[in-house]
Amino acid sequence: MPYVIFIIINAIFINNFVLSRFLGICPFLGVSKKTDTALGMGIAVIFVMSVASVITFALNLLLVKLNVEYLQTIVFILVIAGLIQLVEIVIKRFSPSLYSALGVYLPLITTNCAVLGVAVMNVSELANANILYAFINGAASGIGFTLAILILAGIREKMANADIPESFKGFPITLIISSLMAMAFSAFSGLSF
Amino acid sequence: MLLSANGLETALEIIYPVAILTVLAIVFAILIAVFSVKFAVKEDERVTAVCERLAGANCGACGYAGCEAFAKALVAGDAQLTACNATKKSAKEEIVNILGSGDLGEETIVVCACNGGNVCMDKYDYQGYGGCASIELLAGGSKACPMGCIGNGTCVQECPHDAIDLVDGVSIVNQEKCVQCGLCISHCPKKILKRIPAKAQLYVACSSCDKGKDVRAYCKAGCIACGLCMRNCEAGAITLKNNIAVIDYDKCTGCKKCAEKCPSKCIKIL
Repeated sequence: MPYVIFIIINAIFINNFVLSRFLGICPFLGVSKKTDTALGMGIAVIFVMSVASVITFALNLLLVKLNVEYLQTIVFILVIAGLIQLVEIVIKRFSPSLYSALGVYLPLITTNCAVLGVAVMNVSELANANILYAFINGAASGIGFTLAILILAGIREKMANADIPESFKGFPITLIISSLMAMAFSAFSGLSF
Repeated sequence: MLLSANGLETALEIIYPVAILTVLAIVFAILIAVFSVKFAVKEDERVTAVCERLAGANCGACGYAGCEAFAKALVAGDAQLTACNATKKSAKEEIVNILGSGDLGEETIVVCACNGGNVCMDKYDYQGYGGCASIELLAGGSKACPMGCIGNGTCVQECPHDAIDLVDGVSIVNQEKCVQCGLCISHCPKKILKRIPAKAQLYVACSSCDKGKDVRAYCKAGCIACGLCMRNCEAGAITLKNNIAVIDYDKCTGCKKCAEKCPSKCIKIL
């Protein structure tokens, strides 16, 4: 049980995917203009990461058995992309409201490096890995991503009223905010269990 | 024997990756094909049909996210066709046929009912943040005329089709580019961008309701309500209301005499 808590804290705060691993920066910057779209993106990422973690972890066992671990990257990408397509079709059929809420983000994140990152890290970095831990790690990483993108979206909404120098408007100031957020999150790196 | 075992291992090293990827690809291809047939969502054919006939400007002036969202709302009965001004009348008739009901609405064009700009005096020199709406908040705009075009170009920025230009400090709608979406109207704090019937040949390019003497004091191009146009109109289409000439487009014959006689040239020909 303590190890599960460690995995969760580690994935959300200490090794936050966006702010300390610098993965998934593209949606982080692209979809953080409004908090509600950011939340939609975050939920989609949590969902995809959880599902992808489980499937890729299981597939990796097969790869190890056949001694072809070097195929990890390409197999993971193929599996994640195919899986999301399937999930999208099913959601579209059974829950149109969830489908419209996730909108374009669901297909967008199929090739998100954060999703691939969590799949790879589950098999390479996670100690005592088993399929349950992989699932928890995936879900918690998604929550960490959601937390980061929500904070940034909140700041960007407030920033609309700020008097920003012309040359810093838009992406430059967003990058500066992101770096400040990353520095703030680096304080968590001192945590240990 | 040893050599052949090595050969088998080498062969497997090549075969495994190929086999794994091929199998995975085939499995997913089949799954996606099966799923997409089995879980296919039947979309209303009318939505596609209506969407094809809408203007496709995706301007959002109807209040929906785009033409497709508007088409869905039309089919669901949540929206009125009159909310869209960009779609041509012939296309609207087809949409009404598809839907079975609906109001066409009158075809309109958008004009800027102000001709002041640089010839209208300034009340103060605005030096600050924001567009026309911000300027309007400060003592009702920087122009001496309470209904004058501020000339900061908020409409120019909002227009998705670059159909509005600032000429001599006043907005002018380029009728060739304008699709009548009306985004400019909703962003103009003075509400001087107006809709007039598409058949109009003339329009009064002034909105000031002040008395003639007052208008003359701050603007050389304003309507002074002298009534010359009214007296010269053979069709009796012009009346004076609140110190401004108003054209009744149902009566107007388009003789353009009013535009000739107007001393401040504020009746403009389209």
